[in-house]
Amino acid sequence: MNKKVYLLSAVLMITAGVLFYLRLSFGGQSIRPEFDQHLWRVEIGMTPHGSGSRASFRLTLPAETERQTIYNENFENSGLSFAIQESKLTKNRMGRWQTQILDGAKSVKYIFSAQLKSQTFDIPPDLRLDPAIKDHLAPEDQLWLKPSEFIQSDNKKIRHYLRKIIGREKHTGKVMHKLFDFVRGQVQYQSEKGSKDALETLKQLTADCGGQARAMVALSRAAGIPSRVVGGLVLEPGVKQITHAWVENYIGGQWIPFDTVNNHFASIPNHYLVLYKGDVVLLRHSGLAKIDYYFSVNFETMPPVDQPWSLYILPVHFHGVTKMLLLIPLGTLIVALTRIIIGIPTFGTFGPILLAIAFEEVLLVPGLLFVTLVLTINCLVRRLLDHLKILIIPKLAILVTMVVLILISVMMLSVHVGQLRMLYVSAFPIIIMTWMTERFSVLQIEDGTLAAIKSSLGTVIVSCLAYFVMDIPKLRSYFFAFPELLLVNIAILLLLGRYTGIRLTELWRFRDLHKLQEEKNRS
Amino acid sequence: MSFFHPFRDNGILGMNRRNACYTLRYNPRKFYPLVDDKLQTKQLLEEHAIPTPILYFEIRYEFELKYLRQIKHLKKFAIKPARGAEGRGILVIADKDEQGWKTSGGERLTMEDIEYHVSNILAGLYSLSGVDDHAFIEYFVQSHPVFRPFTEKGVPDIRVILYRGVPVMSMLRLPTMESRGKANLHQGAVGAGVDMLSGITVGGVHKNMLIEKHPDTGQPIAGITLPHWNYILETAVKTYEIFKLGYFGIDFVIDRYLGPLILELNARPGLSIQLANRHGLLPRLSAVDRQTDIETLAPRDRLALSREIVTAV
Repeated sequence: MNKKVYLLSAVLMITAGVLFYLRLSFGGQSIRPEFDQHLWRVEIGMTPHGSGSRASFRLTLPAETERQTIYNENFENSGLSFAIQESKLTKNRMGRWQTQILDGAKSVKYIFSAQLKSQTFDIPPDLRLDPAIKDHLAPEDQLWLKPSEFIQSDNKKIRHYLRKIIGREKHTGKVMHKLFDFVRGQVQYQSEKGSKDALETLKQLTADCGGQARAMVALSRAAGIPSRVVGGLVLEPGVKQITHAWVENYIGGQWIPFDTVNNHFASIPNHYLVLYKGDVVLLRHSGLAKIDYYFSVNFETMPPVDQPWSLYILPVHFHGVTKMLLLIPLGTLIVALTRIIIGIPTFGTFGPILLAIAFEEVLLVPGLLFVTLVLTINCLVRRLLDHLKILIIPKLAILVTMVVLILISVMMLSVHVGQLRMLYVSAFPIIIMTWMTERFSVLQIEDGTLAAIKSSLGTVIVSCLAYFVMDIPKLRSYFFAFPELLLVNIAILLLLGRYTGIRLTELWRFRDLHKLQEEKNRS
Repeated sequence: MSFFHPFRDNGILGMNRRNACYTLRYNPRKFYPLVDDKLQTKQLLEEHAIPTPILYFEIRYEFELKYLRQIKHLKKFAIKPARGAEGRGILVIADKDEQGWKTSGGERLTMEDIEYHVSNILAGLYSLSGVDDHAFIEYFVQSHPVFRPFTEKGVPDIRVILYRGVPVMSMLRLPTMESRGKANLHQGAVGAGVDMLSGITVGGVHKNMLIEKHPDTGQPIAGITLPHWNYILETAVKTYEIFKLGYFGIDFVIDRYLGPLILELNARPGLSIQLANRHGLLPRLSAVDRQTDIETLAPRDRLALSREIVTAV
């Protein structure tokens, strides 16, 4: 019997291990530390301050590209109307929030994960500047050759600078090196309140990243290379307010990045997050007194997944429920452990888990208060009903009704006191509480109040334990990424199912007998 | 037998081991109703001419409550749920006068009270899993005079544990004030270990504490000679063929007129009997398992084997 059980649980564990390994190495699923380096969790927090009128603001959102995967996007809009649009000209993804008449401040958050790769490009040495580039360019890319407000590429002075820098050079690669070295060598970096335009940058030869990028773009366009400013974040763990800007040039059929400030020639590191393309503003508003913002950046541990067997493909709003569902078996494991190894009495096997889930919803301390309140009042009411000699089923039904009454009064009270968290109590915890009340009453009738209190204490303790374990975020993500871990759960439960050792509480129960036996063994 | 035992068991049988190695292994589920339903147990025992308290009548459904009025002709009787666990829901009526009945505990009851109790039984309040139940009215067992010092409340009973047809351990269960006349250790009754050869009690246990004296009366618990001891063991071994359970407990009462009667069987007998006997069950159970031809033995031989084993360990 035992051999079969061991075999089965070994098979289950090996199966889980194999699945785990396969997904790690072939499924794009990863928990290896080197992946952490370019997995990021970014939170963009914005606080619009109203001026008493209707207002709107927009943020450019990161786009999916070959080197940049955006996933687990989450918007907290605080009741503002929100839509994602594509900008007509620059094709940027825009999040747009609109308010009714806004006084005071609101808090809006945009949270997402990004997987970023570093890239390095080669410019073929024999590639020459294309005088007819305009005709080879797609219509929607034409704008990357034209001058714009801050990038005066058709200005005479710019053309003059260009001639001074590149002379008669016609090879694209060499032109790019000369332009890059000029801007990097001659324009001194200096942080500024608003970036200068291209002309001003070249005149004063001091600029921040935006001014340097504009100068670079203006010179490139003047030289006949399609070019654009790219803006985004240089990611590092922590909170910051500074964005960064660099340049992308269209060379040999692809957009190649250049960052003169941080010296990345034809390459981009894996902590550069692109938020917009073109000489646009990241965050623009109208009708607001002001808008505060910050970027909070951290490492992300779970990579995005593009395989059909991953739970990540479920719609995002199911993720929470699914994660909870996956943790229920883990809860049963804890109940089994506490019952079989320790011997704590509980209401049924699933009672503690259900209670733990209820705690999850209403938080631990209010949940514990709820349980105590409900059970106490239940005890009092039951005494009264016993006196009236009410049949058992109607009696339990009355108790359940009482519990609902208590809960809705608590909810009403919490509105008046301003404790709105209590309002989140949905039907589920109420059902669990009423069910617990019934179990308590039945046990009280059958085994007396002391046994009922013992079991409820046991249930509460085990459910707290289950709550703490199920509340570990890492565990949630791992079970979600690798549901095959449930097989390990079954394997452990199988072993527990053949555990025939003495329970901890039985050591206490039989303590006198143990002592006698030890004495006997000695003599 | 097992892969991981963090604690030394000292020969003591724990709940996990009882379930995994004995009840789950030797008690097939399909035979459980025979012992869980006292009416079925009674019927089977009667068919095999094994003495059990006489059944007066039963009440199966709410509409049959009117038949309960028949009890007005009875002075002494017991009302029990057919599927009650651990002595729950048992009402013992010891006397009757003009105002109504009196329980063995001295509580006065009217017809209404008794009807309410039977209603609760039918609704499944006392049954093992809360399912609808039947009630039955049976003979009022009057305790044997030898137990008189302990019978202010309730009737003592004798539990014999039968493993694969071999009696391995036994105890006398004495009701207390705390257990309210019930002979169940969970509810506060006293258990006294019984020497399997002589049928004389040794020390006892009360709420998992080893004791030498009865907590209510202060009478010593050791040294009581159980009457009809050999007859009890002979009857016990015979039940193995009837109920086909490998590990169960048999509860006997000794009526002063009718002698030993089987009150009920228990397919999940408790573990406190080890405390009452100051002896773990495991050595005896293993000794039975060492007997390879155990399934071919006749009841008489199993009784002989039992005597051999309890002398050895």
